[in-house]
Amino acid sequence: MKGYVDPSTVSTESVQVLKPDGTLVPDHGFDLDLKEEDLREIYRVMILTRKVDQESTNLQRQGELGVYTPALGQEGAQVGAAYALEPQDWIFPSYRELGFAMLRGVQPSHILHLFRGTWHGGLYDYREHRLAPYSVPIATQALHAVGFATGAKIDGANTVVIACFGDGATSEGDFHEACNFAGVWKAPVVFYCQNNGYAISVPLSKQTAAPTIAVKALGYGFPGVRVDGNDVLGCYVVTREALRRARRGEGPTLIEAVTYRRGPHSTADDATRYRTDEELKHWEALDPIARFETYLEAEGVLTAEFKDQCDSEGRDAATKLRQEIVGAGPLDPALIFEHVYTERSPILQQEFEEFMEDQEGR
Amino acid sequence: MESREFKLPDLGEGLTEAEIVQWLVKEGDTIELNQPIVEVETEKALVEIPSPFAGTVEKIFGDVGARVNVGATIITVQTSEDAPKTGRKEVLVGYGPDEGASKRRKDRKIGRRTEETPAEEPEQPARALATPPVRKLARDLGIDIDGVSGTGKEGRVTREDVVAAADSQKGAGEEQAEEVAEVVPLTQPAAIRAVPDQAEERIPVRAIRRSIAEKMVRSAFTIPHVAEWLQVDATELMKLRTDLQTSPEAKEMKISPLPIIVKALLAALRKHPLVNSSWDNDTNEIVVRHVYHIGIATDTERGLLVPVVKNADQLNIFELSREIARLAASARDGKIGPSDLTGSTVTITNVGSFGMESGTPIINYPEAAILAPGVIAKRPWVVDGEIVVRDVMTMALSFDHRVLDGAEAGRFLRYLGDLIEKPARLFGVL
Amino acid sequence: MPSITLAQGLNEALRYCMQRDDRVVVMGEDVGRAGGVFRVTDKLQQEFGEQRVIDTPLAESGIVGTGIGLAIYGFKPVCEMQFDGFTYPAFEQIISHLAKYRSRTMGKLPLSVVVRIPYGGGIGAVEHHSESLEAYFTHTAGLKVVTPSTPSDAFALLVEAIEDPDPVIFLEPKRRYWIREDVELPVVSNGDRRKARIVHEGTDVTILTYGPSVRTVEDAVAEATKDGVSCEVIDLRWLNPLDIETIMASVKKTGRAVVVTEASVTGSFSAELAARISEDDFLSLNAPVIRVGGYDIPYPPAKVEDLYLPDLDRVLDAVDKVLNY
Repeated sequence: MKGYVDPSTVSTESVQVLKPDGTLVPDHGFDLDLKEEDLREIYRVMILTRKVDQESTNLQRQGELGVYTPALGQEGAQVGAAYALEPQDWIFPSYRELGFAMLRGVQPSHILHLFRGTWHGGLYDYREHRLAPYSVPIATQALHAVGFATGAKIDGANTVVIACFGDGATSEGDFHEACNFAGVWKAPVVFYCQNNGYAISVPLSKQTAAPTIAVKALGYGFPGVRVDGNDVLGCYVVTREALRRARRGEGPTLIEAVTYRRGPHSTADDATRYRTDEELKHWEALDPIARFETYLEAEGVLTAEFKDQCDSEGRDAATKLRQEIVGAGPLDPALIFEHVYTERSPILQQEFEEFMEDQEGR
Repeated sequence: MESREFKLPDLGEGLTEAEIVQWLVKEGDTIELNQPIVEVETEKALVEIPSPFAGTVEKIFGDVGARVNVGATIITVQTSEDAPKTGRKEVLVGYGPDEGASKRRKDRKIGRRTEETPAEEPEQPARALATPPVRKLARDLGIDIDGVSGTGKEGRVTREDVVAAADSQKGAGEEQAEEVAEVVPLTQPAAIRAVPDQAEERIPVRAIRRSIAEKMVRSAFTIPHVAEWLQVDATELMKLRTDLQTSPEAKEMKISPLPIIVKALLAALRKHPLVNSSWDNDTNEIVVRHVYHIGIATDTERGLLVPVVKNADQLNIFELSREIARLAASARDGKIGPSDLTGSTVTITNVGSFGMESGTPIINYPEAAILAPGVIAKRPWVVDGEIVVRDVMTMALSFDHRVLDGAEAGRFLRYLGDLIEKPARLFGVL
Repeated sequence: MPSITLAQGLNEALRYCMQRDDRVVVMGEDVGRAGGVFRVTDKLQQEFGEQRVIDTPLAESGIVGTGIGLAIYGFKPVCEMQFDGFTYPAFEQIISHLAKYRSRTMGKLPLSVVVRIPYGGGIGAVEHHSESLEAYFTHTAGLKVVTPSTPSDAFALLVEAIEDPDPVIFLEPKRRYWIREDVELPVVSNGDRRKARIVHEGTDVTILTYGPSVRTVEDAVAEATKDGVSCEVIDLRWLNPLDIETIMASVKKTGRAVVVTEASVTGSFSAELAARISEDDFLSLNAPVIRVGGYDIPYPPAKVEDLYLPDLDRVLDAVDKVLNY
């Protein structure tokens, strides 16, 4: 009827390029411009991510980290999207984007030190990797991404920003405000939502009444796309398209990568309280690495040597991570007074001196 | 190869213990790094714990079902892995169970430290250093604290310093005469410093003198003062005083004429209630008081204070005398409290106690009148046409002309005078 | 010398900064085309264009959040909150990010952001338009807080705030937007306005105040002087970092302190001053530090706001109290 829009008419289909059985979807419609070395690189980073992720969980269980938020099962969604970025593009992560960090070459322990309580922002160089610090308050980083992207636009720089967040974040006001600002300002930003099914224990059905997350983009005047989040190639192509769109000055895109969080929300969470073994097994069968391996082996791109090389590289990274984390001491306590302001105020200076005096007994 | 311990970590942001559910290895097993070794149940979840060491299981601790505290050793492993080199003790993430009260870090005793006498005289700062309570004490005792030498830490003026300064200023001649006839010299106010060579000196006005000054100004410039006076033959009064002095109740007490004057005043107030009242400018009313709280203006070292005899009408002569003496003493000692210094309904200022015949006293705001009995001295008087020598006293009354007119004030004063001249009449009206 | 209002002082300061540094951008609701509801950003969009003077959507968290993003990129955003009571949706961005980003990133990603907020009452406004919210910001480590009370200070302090590499909350006393002063522009502060301003020298009592209350205190002091009381009045300007030196020198001289704010006293910044003064120099005090401020009630309806806001007599009562302690 004229004047009405009806949510039940919205398509809930997802883009898919690589099927769970490891074969390409015929007539998927995308230009797959990845060469063999690209495919191998994507695979390498996915393996690295999985190994580092597993080791991080182990380290937490061994008392070396206070908590850890595993990315297990989301390697496809993260590495696929990350691979589409150009080197100058910035990433504004939440707190689960290990895949993005590994793609950008961040030293794993530099991220994990955040969870160890060494320093809130971790220890990596944000500008060097064009990766903002992990952001704990939900969805707030989406606004930072929009501001940064707008800055780049004002400068005429060829930089696009990708804002990462989960399905729960789409309920927060800052998500809405970020999309709205980005739409109005035509900011060169990609909103990348990894819909992994749960916000801790709360399933998507309790988070929104919308038929998909992708459709929310329409409310802000830009396109949305839903993609199989365990299809690394699908994630790659839709992100690539969104980045191109932004670079052409056409504004934002909202990508909903439908995936699954195979681990708990964090190591302090007991996922058995709210989901079943069946569900877990269902998603294990949809593992992003397994299907990609099958595809690459069939294409002759993944040799046994290369596979071993990636495995051993992953294990080495895990070992190096363990060495750097286990028994690592805290930073110099004086640092907590160091970067509060550019310069300490007289009152803060006095407190610092009292603090240092108090430390002498310890 | 060495034996390494693995202690149960805090698995979930502040947990304190876990229950052993299932051991996945046994003593003697060869295990790999990260191999699951045990399943435990915490408050939050069932957790599989991976081994932090590769090697041989030496000993496991805790039977199935046992509750183990965070921080307790659960397994030892013979391993070739070296202990990590770290300056601090092994980090145990999470803090484990409550181990009882926290312990001190620093080894020092706290508590009040006795003042050490400084090796040399500390430099006296321009403005005295003192804690607020000590400053208040100085004010109450009428001591200028900036002039007191401080013997405390860093030249601080202590409580003792202030008291000592006050004592040294209480010179001889502090006793106020109770005999109306005695002349008592005015004592020196505390703040004057003798500087003989200067043409002038400036005395800073503080505390009591300041508040007396403010009160005087307030009274003098809001109340229209008129004074009337009357000379009376006080011979009978003096005779009554002598007789009262011989009473057993007067033992250990010096009866002055003052309590008798007060009694006469009370009788006169009952007859002329307007004298015992107050002009309320805000409500446009004259408030006539039917209680009798007599203020007795008293000269002290700190300045003029007016202690109040509450419900004077309920006291007999001896009680009056005693109460007046008590109040005067505590005023001079500096120990008198606010409740004894407030609430008067009319005031007497005994100018005779320092030898004056009369005066034009300033009303004790916000009362309606103030009575000034003068010195009782031998003067010529006319009795039955003859000049004789009598005890003569002048009484002045300053009154609020808004409340009382001259005639009413005069009638009051005359009546009072009659009672003074013939104190026997008090019998009829008490 | 031309006479300008406090609002004009702010307007000129923005213009001055935007002319000298093309990284300075102004953003907020109605700041561009309309020039701001108090005209503080008047005509800036005509001069500098829509990219540098941005009319944002109606979303305070969004304004500060995108401001943060712009600052990470390298711009110097001056974000406007339209009224004090509408700052609250932006609190998460201000407290969790604006204040902590420098520290979180060990100085690698500093945020040179100014958040301008008109604050305070006395303008007959409806609810939520008269808040004094400085305590929340002075309590948050990582933020700087400043508030001008005169047109010349408005210019100079806003320039200082924009040029400061750290995040600054700039509180504008809205009831004083229209006061005038003869000012030669530009007012170039060489750091002297980082110190508190001694408005009036005196010896009997120190009165500390800031923002809208400065004028109230000046009026009270004129009366006090007639009564023979000599008051020293200090306009704090920067609440953080605080010019504790000037404050303590004055307290040492007078021995008595009164703090006057519009803000309600409990948990206020004046409570912090009282505590700090007594900790720093108890021995100089003849009396406790007395705070004069609003009552601990939600800001009342305009019809009775003059009963809530400290007036001349309440200031004089406090002065009288400390003098006669």
